[in-house]
Amino acid sequence: MTWWWKSLFRKRVLDAQLTSEVRFHVDELTDANIAAGMSPEEARRRAVLEFGGGEQIKEELRDVHRVRVIEGAIANLKSAFRFIRKSPSFSAVIIVTLALGIGANSAVFSAIDAILLRPLPFPDGDQLMEISQLHLRQSSPQTRTAPIRLEEWNRMNSAFQMISGYYTEDGSETSGVLPEKVAQAFVAPRFLQVLGVSPALGRDFSADEERFGGPNAVLISDGLWRRRFHGDPSAVGKKLRINGFSFPIIGIMPASFLFPNRDADLWVPVPPDAPYAQSREYTWYSVIGRLKPRMTVEQARANLTTVQAQLGKAFPKPDADLAVAIQPLKEIRVGGVRRSLWILFGSVSLLLLIACTNIVALLLARATQRQHEISVRFSLGASRMALVSQLLTEAFVLAFIGAALGLGVAGGASSVFRSLAGSLPRVEEIRLDGRIVIYSLACSVVATILCGLLPAIRGTRRNISGSLAQANRTQVSGRNPLQWTLVGVQVALAVTLLAGAGLLLRSFQALGRVSPGFEASHVLTFHISGSYGETADWKGLTQRIDRTIDELRNVPGVEATGATATLPGVPSEYQTELRFTEGDQDAEHKIVAESRFITPGYFATMKIPLLSGELCREPKLTSAPADPAGLQHIAISSIHVLVNRSFADAYPGGSTMIGRHVQPVNSSFLQPNDVGEVRGIVGDAREEGMNRPASPTVYWCFGAPGGPDPFYLIRTRTEPMTMAETIRKKIREIEPARSVFDIKPLPEHIDDAFAENRLRTVLLSLFAATAVSLACIGLYGTLSYSVNVRQREVGLRLALGALRGQIVKQFLLQGLRVTVVGCVAGWALALASSRMLSGMLYGVSPSDLVTLSSVVLVVLLVAAIASLVPAIRAARLDPMQVLREE
Amino acid sequence: MAVDRSDLLQGTLDMLILKIVALGPVHGYGISQRIQQVSREVLQVQQGSLYPALHRLEKRGWLQATWGESESGRQAKFYRLSAKGRKQLLLEESQWNRLAEAIALILRTAS
Repeated sequence: MTWWWKSLFRKRVLDAQLTSEVRFHVDELTDANIAAGMSPEEARRRAVLEFGGGEQIKEELRDVHRVRVIEGAIANLKSAFRFIRKSPSFSAVIIVTLALGIGANSAVFSAIDAILLRPLPFPDGDQLMEISQLHLRQSSPQTRTAPIRLEEWNRMNSAFQMISGYYTEDGSETSGVLPEKVAQAFVAPRFLQVLGVSPALGRDFSADEERFGGPNAVLISDGLWRRRFHGDPSAVGKKLRINGFSFPIIGIMPASFLFPNRDADLWVPVPPDAPYAQSREYTWYSVIGRLKPRMTVEQARANLTTVQAQLGKAFPKPDADLAVAIQPLKEIRVGGVRRSLWILFGSVSLLLLIACTNIVALLLARATQRQHEISVRFSLGASRMALVSQLLTEAFVLAFIGAALGLGVAGGASSVFRSLAGSLPRVEEIRLDGRIVIYSLACSVVATILCGLLPAIRGTRRNISGSLAQANRTQVSGRNPLQWTLVGVQVALAVTLLAGAGLLLRSFQALGRVSPGFEASHVLTFHISGSYGETADWKGLTQRIDRTIDELRNVPGVEATGATATLPGVPSEYQTELRFTEGDQDAEHKIVAESRFITPGYFATMKIPLLSGELCREPKLTSAPADPAGLQHIAISSIHVLVNRSFADAYPGGSTMIGRHVQPVNSSFLQPNDVGEVRGIVGDAREEGMNRPASPTVYWCFGAPGGPDPFYLIRTRTEPMTMAETIRKKIREIEPARSVFDIKPLPEHIDDAFAENRLRTVLLSLFAATAVSLACIGLYGTLSYSVNVRQREVGLRLALGALRGQIVKQFLLQGLRVTVVGCVAGWALALASSRMLSGMLYGVSPSDLVTLSSVVLVVLLVAAIASLVPAIRAARLDPMQVLREE
Repeated sequence: MAVDRSDLLQGTLDMLILKIVALGPVHGYGISQRIQQVSREVLQVQQGSLYPALHRLEKRGWLQATWGESESGRQAKFYRLSAKGRKQLLLEESQWNRLAEAIALILRTAS
């Protein structure tokens, strides 16, 4: 408003001033005429006549003062489109370069936006916390939480609106034609309230359904609903048969609800008052809580610590040893990929910068060609400001079209992203929306300024525009320090990116060359649905799994079979503190080892060699009285264990270890009275991930490793996936009510574990390759331009007897000199930025000389080729023709 | 009226204005009078081009304007040269001189 007033006011002042300036002139003329002897009337008439149309002059003066923003912008736009039409190929190069640059940038930004920047897709998602219990006296302290403790936390704290929890387990649904594996989430009361989500159809669990002995109820996912009921709303009220029990469907969750993970098929309430949920020792739940409004994480941490201290007093064993950890749920879910994503964003921004630099060089060359046009416009009275804004408008139109096409590129790129990085958290939330469009627009504005400002300012310098009088192009200097600096910058940035990609590639290679101590090829893995209910009869469970493994071993084409709780080579840790029951304990030197739970067939299947001693056998199970919680205790006389070579080397005893007994100290899965007898020593295998050398490991031989749903491993004689159908059929024969799922070769699991690594490497390599080609195009373009400008000189020298080789050498060296300088700068940049990559590298140091020097070599080679073409063209000039043309 | 009055060469009006204003603060009427007097009545400036030129030069920052009282006691707008205008004047003068010399040379040698 005020602006309008001001401008109106200014207009009136201006008008008054114009009027009095004109009147003054006429008055003075009148006076002069009177002095010359005219009558006052005649004097005035002549004065007005001489002055000319006063109103017309005033209008012209107003014109001078009018700021013609809109008219100017439209005229600029028109001339920009004319410019694009006039030089389509030049414009196309710029537009495509920007489309790729902005598109790649927007694609990576869309991933960052969806994964890192946006809150979790729940109302007030930033209030959601993950709470875990820490065991102060264990080496891997963070564990799940007992249901009873969850209820106490929920009741006693004052920082959270509500606390709930969940755990997941695969089950078998048998109401259909074939048993189907379903991913079940077992949830504590208040689960949906904490997340702030309600079913899309039907209702949440009722209080009755959350009580022990109450009616069964299940909520199903949108995915299962569409798969099994074809999206029919009458599915609510129908029944599913899960692990032999009947569950009525009470509601269907919205499609966007993918918690705790995107595979979750159904949610089942666990009554907190069930007798089996009263133990303080058995820990099931991953705990989530919703903070009260305006409550900080620190306040909540302090509050829950007080609550846990109270519990420690009330139940010294085990609560006195427990502490509480709170972290934002979003951090838990996405924290791991943050660095990777920002590195990708950094490199894609470098790429855009290189693209812009390239375009600056192109526009600069163009501006020199347009000198004539610009000086004509100058002499017609255009102000420099107007010319700069016209040139900037041209750049903006190019950048805008580039950004619009870039959005298309980003759309394609983000679907590539999704397929390449399926294991990335929240990857399903990546999409193109208003925010990405705005981001791309912002990119185009930044690109306009980066690309357009320098050429516009240089192109409209007075001394250049003064060239109208001497319109002679041969006087344009062939050396353009600014343009060559830009080429150098591009080379430096490209070297930096390529060095990063090189390091990642080398560590990827190194990872592939590792001999892990086991053989992953020809091993097929799968699951057979099982339920934790079976753990009540551990003996029966063990017998079932044993029978399955034995039957499968007899299938033709199968070499060996086994089962394990965790897959070898896929990162996982389970550190346990142990002590030997025999001999003196050295209190200073704790024995800490990885624990692995396997069946005896594991070693033959994975081809892990037995070095000394003998293979383990499964323990004999004896029935034990049920403990007060209603769970049958796993009473085991003595468990056989095998240790790996690192363990035998690291701890006293060496090969005399065989026959001795180890006992866990504070472990949540193993009980203190589980004693393992060391039966033999096996070779080192990289159990905890291909990127980590084997650490001291103890293999505990169980019939049912890790519970009712271990990984089954089968070593096949042929390509493993060809056996998939045979195995599926065989299991239907043995266990008709159970479903087989997740049939996959072991190497695929291992690859998936490094998917983020692969994504990073693939994308960075792609960016680096693009950067190097852009830099080479820049080099080629600038050198070609320089050759063009110096045609006359070259022709003259050739005519005077210069050798063609000399000409080639001269231009080649001109290109290479810049490249070398760029490489040196790039090397320094790469060294400075390589720290960002540390921790992502394996088997190669961030300042690896071989990688860096081969990167430089590659760039030099490519640059030499890019320079050779214009250099040879210069040498092939026909002197007569060139000189005649001039 | 014995002398022919010539029209101004295109583009030279700005230079003439700058030159005259360089002598001291002066109003539009004064400028038109002075151009006429100094050129011994050869050059006559149309007011229709004088005032737009003055305002354009003011807008470019080569001239600065203030309101003051004229010799006749009336309120008038006085123009004076700015530092930028002084530089511009030097530039235009040297360009003009080069052009004039070149033309003179051609006229001399061609005859």
